[in-house]
Amino acid sequence: MAARVLQQCVRSFARPSLRLCSNNLALRVTAAPAAAVHRPLSFAADSRRTRWLVQSRIPSVGVLCRQYGDLPPLTLETIKERVMYVLKLYDKISPEKLQTSSHFMKDLGLDSLDQVEIIMAMEDEFGFEIPDAEAEKLMTPEEIVQYIADKKDVYE
Amino acid sequence: MTVSRLPSAALSLKQFLHRQKVLGIYRNMLRTIRRVPDEADRKFLRDWARDEFHRNKNVTHEDAIRMMITQASNHLEELQKSLALAHS
Repeated sequence: MAARVLQQCVRSFARPSLRLCSNNLALRVTAAPAAAVHRPLSFAADSRRTRWLVQSRIPSVGVLCRQYGDLPPLTLETIKERVMYVLKLYDKISPEKLQTSSHFMKDLGLDSLDQVEIIMAMEDEFGFEIPDAEAEKLMTPEEIVQYIADKKDVYE
Repeated sequence: MTVSRLPSAALSLKQFLHRQKVLGIYRNMLRTIRRVPDEADRKFLRDWARDEFHRNKNVTHEDAIRMMITQASNHLEELQKSLALAHS
């Protein structure tokens, strides 16, 4: 019964959007698992599908590509900007004294607890976890940028 | 607790281990606090944890350090259990 409902939805999508190739791909992709689940209905679904595809004017192959959603690609420059921005927002650092090579403990006078907080803020900003052993070695903004570029495979 | 000496000075093994433990607990605490649903609660807990850890930063008596580490672990466990209950 679910397959029947799915086919009706698919039919209602297919009619107004026959020009959009990505929707056709979506149809093929969504119809495939449904067809796999309900075998007796799959023949009917296939024939109906091929009928629509034959009737529709499928645009040329160049549009037959998948589209995924993702964030803009990272570059060393953007990583550095974001790291410096997060550091400037931290209340124990004065923005004037901050440079990429300033050591947290020696130049900026922070202690290890502050360093933990800073690395946590970096984790929040970039969205991935940094394990303890490597986190405690990151003592300058430059090192943080290098580490993130390493982990995110950013080359330049 | 985290004896804030210059990195070039050596800590004894026990002090080093305590330091690592404390930093580990602080990190776990911050990670657990991230999972709290309400933003105001999160800010309150973060400030509270920050205050507690910074206030006892310079304690050198080993028994006091160990007691505080145990206390912190208990707080952390409590927080984790409450979160587990809240999310279920």
